[in-house]
Amino acid sequence: MEFAKRQTATQSQKLMIFVLSMALYGLATLFTELIPSFQAGIVEFSVEFFLFIPLSLAMLFDPLSAALGAATGELVFSEIMLGQFGGLGELEKFLTVTIGVYLAGRMVSDPRNRRMVGIAAFTGTGLQLLMSMLVDIFKVQFAVEDFEAVAGLPESVFATEGFAFLNDLLFSGVLFCLLPTLYLVPKLYGKIEPLLGMRPRDGKTGFGGVNVKIVVGACVAFAAAAGAELLATSGISLFEWEAGWAGSSTALAVGMVAAAVIVVIALLVLKARAEKGETVQK
Amino acid sequence: MNIIEIENLTFSYPAAGKPILNNISLQVERGDFLAIVGNNGCGKSTFCKVLNGLIPHFISGDFEGKVLVDGLNTLESDVGTLACKAGYVYQDFENQIVRPTVLDDASFACLNYAMPDYRERGKEALTLCGLYGREDDYICQLSGGQTHLLALAGAVSLRPDILILDEPIAQLDPGHADRIYGVLRTLNEKHGKTIIVIEHHTEYIADYCKHVMLMREGGVAWKLPVREALRRVEELRECNIFPPQVTLAAHQMQREKRIPAQRPLPTTVQEGKEAFCHLSYHAAARRDKVRQTAGKAVVSFEHVSVSYRSVKGTDRVVFDGLDLEICRGDRLALIGSNGAGKSTMMKLMVGLLRPETGTVMLDGEDVRKQKPEELSQKISLVYQNPEEMFIKDTVAADIAYAMQARNIKDYTKRTERLLDRFHLTDFKDRDGRLLSGGQMRRASLAIGVALHPGILLLDEPTANLDIATRKEIMRTLSEMEEITETVVIATHDMQLVCEWANRIVVLCGGKVIADGTRDEIFKDRTVAKTAGIRPPEIFSMGQVLDNRALCYTVDEFLQGFREV
Amino acid sequence: MKTKKKLSETIYDKFSIDFLRNQVLKNAYGNDDTVIAKLDPRILLVWYLFIGLVPWFVDDIWFLMACFLLVMVTTKLARVAGLVLLLFVVGVFTQTGYLFVVSLFFGGDASTVIPLLILTLKVATCSLASITVFSGLDPDRLSNGLMWYGCPERLSFSISYAYRILPMLMEEFQNILLSYRLRGNPPASGTLVGNVRYLCYQVNIVMHSFYPLMLNTAKRSRTTVEALEIKGYRYAAVNREVKKMKLSTLKVTYTDLLFLAVSFLWIALSVLASALF
Repeated sequence: MEFAKRQTATQSQKLMIFVLSMALYGLATLFTELIPSFQAGIVEFSVEFFLFIPLSLAMLFDPLSAALGAATGELVFSEIMLGQFGGLGELEKFLTVTIGVYLAGRMVSDPRNRRMVGIAAFTGTGLQLLMSMLVDIFKVQFAVEDFEAVAGLPESVFATEGFAFLNDLLFSGVLFCLLPTLYLVPKLYGKIEPLLGMRPRDGKTGFGGVNVKIVVGACVAFAAAAGAELLATSGISLFEWEAGWAGSSTALAVGMVAAAVIVVIALLVLKARAEKGETVQK
Repeated sequence: MNIIEIENLTFSYPAAGKPILNNISLQVERGDFLAIVGNNGCGKSTFCKVLNGLIPHFISGDFEGKVLVDGLNTLESDVGTLACKAGYVYQDFENQIVRPTVLDDASFACLNYAMPDYRERGKEALTLCGLYGREDDYICQLSGGQTHLLALAGAVSLRPDILILDEPIAQLDPGHADRIYGVLRTLNEKHGKTIIVIEHHTEYIADYCKHVMLMREGGVAWKLPVREALRRVEELRECNIFPPQVTLAAHQMQREKRIPAQRPLPTTVQEGKEAFCHLSYHAAARRDKVRQTAGKAVVSFEHVSVSYRSVKGTDRVVFDGLDLEICRGDRLALIGSNGAGKSTMMKLMVGLLRPETGTVMLDGEDVRKQKPEELSQKISLVYQNPEEMFIKDTVAADIAYAMQARNIKDYTKRTERLLDRFHLTDFKDRDGRLLSGGQMRRASLAIGVALHPGILLLDEPTANLDIATRKEIMRTLSEMEEITETVVIATHDMQLVCEWANRIVVLCGGKVIADGTRDEIFKDRTVAKTAGIRPPEIFSMGQVLDNRALCYTVDEFLQGFREV
Repeated sequence: MKTKKKLSETIYDKFSIDFLRNQVLKNAYGNDDTVIAKLDPRILLVWYLFIGLVPWFVDDIWFLMACFLLVMVTTKLARVAGLVLLLFVVGVFTQTGYLFVVSLFFGGDASTVIPLLILTLKVATCSLASITVFSGLDPDRLSNGLMWYGCPERLSFSISYAYRILPMLMEEFQNILLSYRLRGNPPASGTLVGNVRYLCYQVNIVMHSFYPLMLNTAKRSRTTVEALEIKGYRYAAVNREVKKMKLSTLKVTYTDLLFLAVSFLWIALSVLASALF
């Protein structure tokens, strides 16, 4: 009984963190989606993300809820609300954000320790960026057929992605993740917890840090993320029918058209009848 | 039969020193309409959360004692079962609404508890709460009052026998407030629901409730029938509850032996008519509050039109060709029902909104042509919700922010002076949000006047405050006269209007329908009727006794009415 | 530097938060009487799965063009808000347009153009398909559709809740920003250095405004979560009966099937064209 009660309490707290993280990070990503990036030559300076929001929350509260909330928030607010949903590929962003934020949150056992917060924030951001860079490179490699054959393409992809990674890490990572997290965490500590009816995290109530199990879990999740992204872009081996179909024979195509026409006409007739029936009933 | 029985309930939040609820024993009869009163922080809200099982099932803490709700022990039943017994409407009710459309939200709980007739239940609840016909609307299309009714409908849909409302009318104009209480009365009388409200407005308690429970420091001081309760003037005042003005006036007269001591005090205007029948009005030396001389116009609206983009259908027009001048030295009260455009007007003055046509002039110059940063030296706006004024992590930093940003040399000294003036020195290092309601208000006022603006705009400065805190704010307002020459307040609080303003502007339907002193405004009943405003109770009392009488405060009433 | 100044003006004046909120809400609710919005979400999701996936595997220009035209028509039918379309155009350009420039820089030639053109068509088609489905559908119908396919309940709740909380959140954010704007003192813009400093100042303000926003939102979400508990949200999440009841509102009509069939006919025609020419 006592145990069950405690569990519901923590569950509700988790939901609270989830909702909070989702709403705030979602709002922030909604804006980043709108702020155009600055193109200075080939270098793109963009306000890449407001990852400091879920990072701070993950360090102060339950890391997993904050991470999942942030990923969901981004998915819902900036992808679905603005119609920017990229299909299965979004799973990649979802998982990399979750992993980055979650690991950063686990790394901090005492939010008052600024050095710990700083290292965790930087690691989390770096991990997220690294993972998305790897996935991006794979993506182009699979999306463009004869990747190696196109003149200048492989080099350009490696160069831009590598550069983008470093640029993001040093520009967005420091300016928009590390510094704000360092500013926010100590300021929020002890203030935001009572508003949510919780106890502040300290050395004792902190989470067990990062262990092998978590690392393995993160790797599996990353593999899933990369897999999802590649599935979304390539899937060559998965859909073998593709080859024969693209260069299809005329007969097959004619058959398809004829079948489609028949189905359309049949449906039209059925629909008209159904509507008639409805009006009669009325 | 008792629907609620509580024995020796004690509860304390984790990591809190002393219990917030202390040894409460109480019975509430089925079909009661109970008002809970008490000053801020005495545990009223906590108590209500005990009744629907949120405590101890959802909010952890040390719980002792026994609570029976309709025969169910809250410790042994889960929140779901209890939710069908007791519905709860929060003070910040808009956060309670989680679905995008009206019917959806009203039936959400029923759907979650897998009731097959959830749609019918939602519709039924909406009809009960007077939202029939709005089923398919989006929440953002509702007004504040309607949103509150929807929150109520969400609770009613589960057909609970008990309904609990936390300060239901704190932010509403009298028209909407009457509607809420009207609905509650119907639910109580026709449908036999037991209703519990946390309420500061004793006039409403007198008109609608059956019993009153006074809470003091986490305990129940007493629970009495409403008339008897409101007559305990001294005790209520000790707890910062102000009985109806009629009761206060009679109480004072009783002390002055002007009405017999054994006579029960009146609590409503109706009862007052009898109690004060032996008095007659002497239009003695009273004078209206007037502006000494109308000063130079500092803000002027010239044919201003504003409308808000709406999600569907036509845009909502707030102002259509509005003309108004605000003069130096005005203490102007802006009144009108919810949605009449009071806040919009203030936003226009500080340049946060752009009029579609027409111009808003500030000191003879178009507001839109001046930079907001420069404007802040001349005009300042204090939001309705003080939390949105706090952008730094301490009160002191918040007050200093604007001065610091402008490199004002002695800003530390000035900050200290302001902290002192607004009695904030003791908590200058706390975050504004973690202060009590009154302290928060004072801090937001201090932030507003930091740059010594010539014009100060206050949006609902007394909303959500108990009466003592309100008085405190009123005192602060009068102290502020030395700092700012012109003050504009948008408010529903007619007592504040009558005691403070020297000019009243009534907004209705996007137009100024009346503009003048309080006599000019309140004498004309048609104005009050069209705009949905209501004079203070004591004014109505005076009017009922003698329609020449224009008494706005209890003191004026006591002076104006004498024995024949 | 003109563009930069214009840019900051765009962000802070024309792209006001009000405008943004209005566009997002309009996108979600303003078009619930269109053909697309009335379709069954499940059918539309199946359709999306096809149009959003298949183009990635096909390099036939006829086929890709046909898909692209099809999604253009459906996007038109869905009456998507202008902002979303603008984002689409910008998005497609930055995704492949800049790759094109870079590959030219590394010594690419006309042979680079064709694959990149095809890539652009693919990206555009998929984006428009998702715009049709996710902007054209009412968020509630969308989340019901997703739930039918077994998406976690948490996600479908998040979608409808996001639309509910967004206006409130934006208003709060706007008010906080306005506090900064009224009380702050941004550096003068006009010169190059001034503009950069102005921009930095603004970015700094946005960052800082999350401190109060986080605390204020924390206060709100506490009430929300308590209310959810009372309203039995947690019970519903584990109750199959509830899910069934929610999904019983979904019905496939002839219009839905017709929509599928017409799309199929169009695609088939393109395959035919490709085979003939």
